[in-house]
Amino acid sequence: MNQRIPYLAALVFLLAAGCSRQPRDIAAAKPAPGLQPITFEAWQGKLVGARGAITVVDFWASWCAPCLERFPHMVALHERYKESGVRFVSVSLDDRDDKGAIEQARSFLARQNAAFENYLMDENITDAFQKLDLLSIPAVLIYGRDGRLRYKLTGDDPNRQFTNEDVDRAIETLLGETG
Amino acid sequence: MMRHGFFRTASAGLILSVLAAAVPMFAAKYNTIVDIGAPMPQFSNLPGTDGKILSSSDLKESVVVLAFLANHCPWVRGTEQDLIKLVNDFRGKDVRFVGVSVNRRADDALEAMKVRAAQLGYNFTYVYDESQELGRKLGATRTPEFFVFNKERRLVYMGLLHNSPASMRTDGTINYTKGAPMEFYVKDAVNALLGEGQIANEETRPQGCSIEYAQSR
Repeated sequence: MNQRIPYLAALVFLLAAGCSRQPRDIAAAKPAPGLQPITFEAWQGKLVGARGAITVVDFWASWCAPCLERFPHMVALHERYKESGVRFVSVSLDDRDDKGAIEQARSFLARQNAAFENYLMDENITDAFQKLDLLSIPAVLIYGRDGRLRYKLTGDDPNRQFTNEDVDRAIETLLGETG
Repeated sequence: MMRHGFFRTASAGLILSVLAAAVPMFAAKYNTIVDIGAPMPQFSNLPGTDGKILSSSDLKESVVVLAFLANHCPWVRGTEQDLIKLVNDFRGKDVRFVGVSVNRRADDALEAMKVRAAQLGYNFTYVYDESQELGRKLGATRTPEFFVFNKERRLVYMGLLHNSPASMRTDGTINYTKGAPMEFYVKDAVNALLGEGQIANEETRPQGCSIEYAQSR
């Protein structure tokens, strides 16, 4: 049953792309059930600012306990919104040279049935944090249909760390916008 | 033409002044709560792994280093041996190192802290900030994250221990992400306060695990 999920997800993405006004950019980013390495350059070039769909990007790592706790919510949101033109992407900031960590990340994604695009940032991890302009994870970045970054949800402010409800509200807000 | 230039400059200056006024006074580059020069928050009766309690009024040394730690965090595990060595290097000097755990998860709480401190041979006071007030008042959001205070208990440095954030890999080895450390920010700040050298970096970009704060919303 689970083996069908990636194909269903692919179908949904293609359908969503077909319904959007600028389908080519979305179609270029195919769903990947595994954990695909991606350089920051490739990430910027292909993924950030893809137009036509609301894009939710979850930055996480197997070493990040709160990331693992939040992840099931991302999977649930994907289930809820996958037919509403919302694209989900996860980016792992695990140590690319730590085989044990990569294996843990892969098996976690499998256990979570994370049937969306799952990437491993293929960079020195300190460089990755700086290039991505992230101070810590978990962090969720949400892009509007126009490809612009609309929400950067982080834990940087101890008095305003983001919650699952913040993610829900952001998606609903963007879905409510016309165009 | 010159009049336009003058008004444009004046307008830009006015806008910049308004923007500057709108920015929180204490926001630093990587810290949303405090900036360099901020006073050390008062704290009282934090329980330590040594069975004692610690208040800010107990700290009599000229230099105080607060190190925000978390047992579970591989970035802390990658750094703690360097921290232990640093504390040893300053043995007998007028400086006090205090580790602080803020997370409320069981594996970061006091009982687990006692186990970790004993296993690793922590040679510094290690206290539990269960109310999270100290961490919150300092804007500490990552572990490990270091804050160095002078004799007047003003903040002179915050951020990384050194320039090569290190994590413990799943096989137990330490990965220094930028190679062998070359710049020792905390050590340099403490030395400067003890009269040797200057502080070249007042704030660096901390990297590690997130500290989770209870949200009142």
